[in-house]
Amino acid sequence: MKQFYDFRIEKIKGLSSEEKIVRKKNLELFYLNGFPSKKDEDWKFTDLNSILSQNFTKITNTDLITEERRHKSINEFEHNFISLMNGKLISKSFDHEEKDKISISNFNYKNEIILHSKNTLNFLNNALAKDGFSLEISKNYKLKKPLVIYNHFSDSLKEIITNNKNSIILNENSELTLINYLDNTSKENFMINTIENIKLKKNSSLKNIFINNSKNYAYFYKYLKNDLEKNSSLENYILSSGLIFNKLDIEVNHNEEYSNSYIFSALNLLNNEHQEIKTRVNHNAPNCRSYQKIKNVLNNESKGVYQGKIFVKNIAQKTDAYQLSRALILNDKAEFDAKPELEIYADDVKCSHGSTSGSIDLDSIHYLKSRGIPEKEAYQMLINGFLCEVLEKLKEKNLKKFLLKKLEDQIHGY
Amino acid sequence: MLNIKNLDATIDNKHILKGLNLNIKPGEVHAIMGPNGSGKSTLANVLSGKNGYEIKGKIQFNGENLNELSTEERAQKGIFLAFQYPLEIPGVSTNIFLKTSLNAVRKAKGEKELDTLTFLKLIKEKALELGIDEKFLSRQLNVGFSGGEKKKNEILQMKLLEPKLSILDETDSGLDIDALRIVADGVNSYKNKDNAFLIITHYQRLLDYIKPDFIHVLSNGKIVKTGDADLGAQLEKTGYTSLS
Repeated sequence: MKQFYDFRIEKIKGLSSEEKIVRKKNLELFYLNGFPSKKDEDWKFTDLNSILSQNFTKITNTDLITEERRHKSINEFEHNFISLMNGKLISKSFDHEEKDKISISNFNYKNEIILHSKNTLNFLNNALAKDGFSLEISKNYKLKKPLVIYNHFSDSLKEIITNNKNSIILNENSELTLINYLDNTSKENFMINTIENIKLKKNSSLKNIFINNSKNYAYFYKYLKNDLEKNSSLENYILSSGLIFNKLDIEVNHNEEYSNSYIFSALNLLNNEHQEIKTRVNHNAPNCRSYQKIKNVLNNESKGVYQGKIFVKNIAQKTDAYQLSRALILNDKAEFDAKPELEIYADDVKCSHGSTSGSIDLDSIHYLKSRGIPEKEAYQMLINGFLCEVLEKLKEKNLKKFLLKKLEDQIHGY
Repeated sequence: MLNIKNLDATIDNKHILKGLNLNIKPGEVHAIMGPNGSGKSTLANVLSGKNGYEIKGKIQFNGENLNELSTEERAQKGIFLAFQYPLEIPGVSTNIFLKTSLNAVRKAKGEKELDTLTFLKLIKEKALELGIDEKFLSRQLNVGFSGGEKKKNEILQMKLLEPKLSILDETDSGLDIDALRIVADGVNSYKNKDNAFLIITHYQRLLDYIKPDFIHVLSNGKIVKTGDADLGAQLEKTGYTSLS
């Protein structure tokens, strides 16, 4: 096969000679295997190499000039925001918060985190990444309003890969609700490869919400690494329907006692959409709880994948870990793959997993229709009922209302 | 109102209704009784437009050929089926379901759709009439409802949608005596000269509360006997076997 990618470190400006060496090494590691394919166990159901080679004539990296752009912001609830253009921090507003409690800046590549993994996309990120942000919340500070991260992309992104790194630190006893809001109106093909590092210090609490606002033709991959200290709490809500390709690779490390993590996902995949959620929840300390509930609805020729792994270290007694995936398959051409995995080395733990898939209940459809509800609407009601359950735990009224509305929009199709 | 001529229904190669005839006029209450497997629920399903049946014969509803209408169109035109086993729909609140349903029917009739406030006022009134706690309305549709609550919810939907023909499929099954009275009162208060009822039941019990104009005995896919309200009491004594 003709090689469809060409990446150059020289295109990135302002690198020191040491940086260049490290980046070159990473690029070489990437080139050894190229983009991951189904030969890689972690990419078994998502052959990225063939997906990209079919949809790109040539992918390159570039040093983009970013422009400011007006965007439609969320009106439904009060919030702070930062704006990213192609991953670069371009504006911020923390009007609802006390001064000096939040620090936000461009990601500092001098303190770069190099992941030691076999993941070639991480190598590529290490080689080519620029831009991104660092966010830090001060000790004891609980944000009064949620923080929305507006993600925008310029129309000039075409056949290009953009790599960036972000870092989020919640210091002791702090609290944040984060909404990753993807609003990409471009019809061009491009790829975004992000590594995001999240650190939750003692007693801190983060809600991390992923939402997509429009039909999307770009390819997204994010490696999300979460490190949890004692008594911290992490809740993820993934509502990213509408993306043509998306893989969220979530690592959660319960490094200290009494930390909790939740991963909730509700996806309604339409024609040609391919989304994967891969999780690795590591219980490295006793008395922690993790909970995953992944729900997919697959329409037309769409594909959903869930690979969920729970690892329990020998010292992690009294672990309570749970994962469940449920899929509604509405078309013979749609596909859902689930690979649940448990690896347990402690003996006093509670771990369970389950996976179901099936079609929609036609008797329920008949029941709704017999009340005058048109068939299409009856389907949408059932799908909505199936998916919205994942938002049950969320208590903030306005935010929840907003997310339920987005979910409904996604179900009705963009 | 409803005119059924020589109705045949087959499902999965099972021939269930075999030449059924029935005429219902506005203002009438008809009861259909019959042993298990005689085709009572099939008749209800066929009238509601459930998929999977192979139909022969004629069903006319207010002059229209029912076979050509989808389930939702039948509902919009005024046919209501109270289900024997109302379905549980997780994640859909009863309120939202009722509002969607009412507005779909209103829209089809060319009436203005109700806004949330007007709807809530209306539904609270109707719920109160049936002794349904308001809290039910915000719960997920039929999820975790008791048998009696589900049946009351069916009657609530009937009163909300104001159908011309209401088919009650074994609405009395699973009801205690108090719930039975509430359901019967609900039906009786809705009954008028313009609408009609088709009550499918095994037992005389419900008919003590809702007095039918006609009782039909369904056996082996056909109506084998028709009589007035006294027929029910007679059947209670002699059973169905004497008729077949």
